[in-house]
Amino acid sequence: MTRLYKQPICLASALLVPWLTLAAPAWLKLSGVGPCWALLWLLPWALVDGPVSGLIAGLCLGLVLDGICLDGASHLPVLMALGWWWGRLGRRAPPIKRSFNLGLLTWFGTALLGLSLWIQTLFIQFDSATPWLQSWGWQSCLAQSFITGLVAPLIVSWQLLVWRRRARV
Amino acid sequence: MGASPSWQASFRWRHWRGILPWLLLVGALGLVRWSKGAGFADAYALLSRPFWPGSAQREWILAGSQLEQQAKLLLLEQDNQRLRGLLALGQAPKSGRISAAVISRTPQGWSQQLMLGKGQLDGIAQDDAVMGPGGLLGRIQSVTPTTALVQLLTAPGSRVGVWIPRSNRHGLLVGMGTSRPQLKFIDKDPNAFPGDLVSISPASTLMPANLPIGVIQSVDNRAVPAPLAAVQLIAAPEAIDWVQVQIR
Repeated sequence: MTRLYKQPICLASALLVPWLTLAAPAWLKLSGVGPCWALLWLLPWALVDGPVSGLIAGLCLGLVLDGICLDGASHLPVLMALGWWWGRLGRRAPPIKRSFNLGLLTWFGTALLGLSLWIQTLFIQFDSATPWLQSWGWQSCLAQSFITGLVAPLIVSWQLLVWRRRARV
Repeated sequence: MGASPSWQASFRWRHWRGILPWLLLVGALGLVRWSKGAGFADAYALLSRPFWPGSAQREWILAGSQLEQQAKLLLLEQDNQRLRGLLALGQAPKSGRISAAVISRTPQGWSQQLMLGKGQLDGIAQDDAVMGPGGLLGRIQSVTPTTALVQLLTAPGSRVGVWIPRSNRHGLLVGMGTSRPQLKFIDKDPNAFPGDLVSISPASTLMPANLPIGVIQSVDNRAVPAPLAAVQLIAAPEAIDWVQVQIR
């Protein structure tokens, strides 16, 4: 079995995450919020390559995303935790095949990431924690988790198929 | 020998019948006068419609009007700079503005930002003001050699000191993530009403003075410790492809 991180083409595909995050295609937005591309890439990677690789991939993606986004809340903790958890799921649980399950996992992960960003923002902006800030948090969290969960069955199932095939080689 | 009464009556009637049309005409013209030319002006407008000035003439007039406005603005800006110089208030010259293309745009969501296609190499630095058509959009938060990251006024964490020209009151514009940032007043009685313009203070040395930002949409006078207001921004980041950066 070949590990994904040893295949340059698989590693290079991670560059799509910051590129798509910055490009933010307007036609793929819900209430002005686009999908979380980092999780759409991280889920199949961690499921195929295991918890340690998932953890490191989460760390790398988190560093890049924190670099291209505004200062403040960090993506790092949740991306690393999800990379580890999804890696364990891929190693210990029966292989996930259903698109619905992939969508559900991505939806849950995006909601967790959103909650983390929101809580961090509330801590940083504790003097401005008004209902306005709360409505923004709810709206962003729900919109992003919903659109990511909708897109996931299309993208993640295809990535999983290709990467599982490459890993078996 | 006197005239018979029947002949007299017949004479009166003939006399009136002769001048009645003229009286009616004068009355009608009196109505025209009273109504400031109603009927005449409308008929003239209807008949002369094919000869009215076309769109080309209207554009010439508009272009002339715009040129006049620009010239006035230039004169006022020069006058303003001279007066600010007399008052020893700092102001960056207009030549310190550079145009930059928006290469990435996320006006909503967790990170409300713009990425510009110019950076350190073009003289852009942290905290420079970024303006779009209509007013201030945000401030530069970080720069790379060829790009700059703009924190929008709506982003949580954005704080800009502002001024209400009508009432001469100061406040702090705080980004809340929503499309309308919150204006926190310093005074208990802000004397602010919906429709008031919000701009950068004329005494500001960090940002371009008197730069418009938005319009107050609603005021909450019962908020503690000080009243709050919702501000509708004038410049919309969703629709801007080019911005101007005020470099210092």
